[in-house]
Amino acid sequence: MTVVHETKSLTGNDAVAIAALYAKPEVVAAYPITPQTTIVEKLSQFVNEGKLDAEFVIVESEHSALAACMGAAWSGVRTFTATSSQGLLYMAENVFWTGYGRLPIVMPVVNRCLAPGWNIWPDFQDSMAFRDAGWIQIYTKNNQEVFDTTLQAFKISEAKEISLPHMPCLDGFVISHTTAQADIPTAEDSYEFVGPYSDPVVEIDVDNPWAYGAMTGPDQYSQNRKDLIAAMERAKKKIVIVHKEYEERFGRSYGNGLIEPYGDEVADLTILSMGTIGEESQEAIDRLKEEGMSVNAARVRTFRPFPTEDIVNVAKKNHKLLVIDRSASFGHDGQLRIEVESVLKRYNVDTPVVGRLMGLGGEDVPYSMIMNEVKKVLKE
Amino acid sequence: MTVTQKDLLSIPKKAILKGHFACAGCGSALAFRHAIGSIADKVILVVPASCASVYQGSGKGVAFNVPTINTAFAASDAVASGISRAMKKKGKEDLKVVVWGGDGSAADIGIATEIGACDRQENILHVMYSNNVYGNTGGQRSGDTMIGAKTATTPDGNTIPRKMVPFIMMANNARYVATATVAYLEDLVEKFQKAISLEGFKFMQIDSPCPPNWRSESSDSIKIARLAVQTGIWPLFEWNRDTGKAVISRPGKKYVETENRTPITEWTNLQGRLKSITAEQLKELKSDTERQWDFLRKFL
Repeated sequence: MTVVHETKSLTGNDAVAIAALYAKPEVVAAYPITPQTTIVEKLSQFVNEGKLDAEFVIVESEHSALAACMGAAWSGVRTFTATSSQGLLYMAENVFWTGYGRLPIVMPVVNRCLAPGWNIWPDFQDSMAFRDAGWIQIYTKNNQEVFDTTLQAFKISEAKEISLPHMPCLDGFVISHTTAQADIPTAEDSYEFVGPYSDPVVEIDVDNPWAYGAMTGPDQYSQNRKDLIAAMERAKKKIVIVHKEYEERFGRSYGNGLIEPYGDEVADLTILSMGTIGEESQEAIDRLKEEGMSVNAARVRTFRPFPTEDIVNVAKKNHKLLVIDRSASFGHDGQLRIEVESVLKRYNVDTPVVGRLMGLGGEDVPYSMIMNEVKKVLKE
Repeated sequence: MTVTQKDLLSIPKKAILKGHFACAGCGSALAFRHAIGSIADKVILVVPASCASVYQGSGKGVAFNVPTINTAFAASDAVASGISRAMKKKGKEDLKVVVWGGDGSAADIGIATEIGACDRQENILHVMYSNNVYGNTGGQRSGDTMIGAKTATTPDGNTIPRKMVPFIMMANNARYVATATVAYLEDLVEKFQKAISLEGFKFMQIDSPCPPNWRSESSDSIKIARLAVQTGIWPLFEWNRDTGKAVISRPGKKYVETENRTPITEWTNLQGRLKSITAEQLKELKSDTERQWDFLRKFL
């Protein structure tokens, strides 16, 4: 099958907006926040130009942006919004309500650090604060991947057996505002891939009235949460399946969709990281290998559900792990490191793990910096 | 459309079934039965954290017989906006989206969301049932609490004037604004029916006696609500954007003139929360009541 696509130079935010356009959401809610704003600006343009036939709700806060999407999702239509940083925090209770309520809303998060002080540059503190909110979280490395991920997000999340909200994550500015090339499939092919949202789990029906989110006793409540845990496990498989389907159709993939290994299968040291640092790590690996070192990398793409088995396999094969976190759980460690160590312990894998906090508050992390850290760790 | 007592007695479809958790003498549940009951086959209900999220019942035994979306405290008007937009996309604009919540959400935590939906002219009706207190959490002062009223957080009586939410909605260009009371249900249902027949953002505030928090007899709820109108505490009116004019409703007409009003103490004496109101507080309560009337008179 010949795939028709166009190679475009576009920003990460434009890539997200085009993916959303092609998925044809019926209700879009929007509130501005840097560096997310240009996504919803673009979508409002699409609606104005008649390219996107959606209700565009210009709300008065992020709390209401997600709330409006929730109302639309309960009505059984495809919905979309996007946010960042303080905006995501302002939505907080609705973020949890959406996850625990199993509403398949797609909401890209343009990662930006949290105040104080005011700083608009990227780190993962914002989305990491919501790792327990019942959302799928996929961290992307570049403009191409964020397009692919956003498109796949609808198909994964809206599947009846999944019905979970989805945060494709992209580093603020480094992806969101940087122009780069990406292969964009046609609108028709994109929509054909995603398909309509035809079989929602929840749909308001006046002839069959239900109360959603009513008072719930411990028995039913704990059952609901266990169902959520099970849905996340199913999502782990679904991400791989949809990612594979996408690869078959459009010829692009990122590892198995959960993690993206890079370089030799076995090495003295493996870098585990996420987002654009993951891409920069790949550059570092190439150069370190030129210097004769035995190193490889695995970029953790899917953080929720956590790719436990894949991490364990990587750790089993390699001799040491360097985990780079772009966010911290204060009083403990970087979240990725905490979770990697936890799964290794559970599966009795004794590969040593070293952690580094890098890129907080938008600190630039070039491959040279990663190379230096690798050299230090290999000496330890 | 005129609603008669006969209409009230023949609700086409019950919106609230037996087994609900409302207290005896609850004004909100009574208003619900008649207002939502009058459109039970075509309503989508959105309920913020409120007594209504409790008295609807629990789990699989929910007593509301209409689709009900429970939301976070400040989220209702935005959730309702999303539902209304989605229904428009689906060609189901005949369905009426109604927010049913208390004064804690409408006057305080949710007021920005409410004004946002009002500004956008979302096609929804927000019904604020006023029990002048955070009833669900044990009776703390809200932005709608009467001056002098003892609450869990104002043990010596509230001193802050009430937020005049209907006027705030008028100032924000709502399509239709009305006050109502469970003492005059025909008037209440008539206004409710009028509100849902109009396009855009509509707002109603309903005086809803709350025996546990007002520390009143359950059997006195209607009497207290009626006295609120007769003492001038609860101006009964409707306002329409088309005319920009407010109209005093029939049961309240007589009480525009202060000399026709029943002394406020007849109303306060029936309620534990206000029984021991001080002379100074009573003066302040009267002045806060007049403040509302003065504002309202500008639109008559």
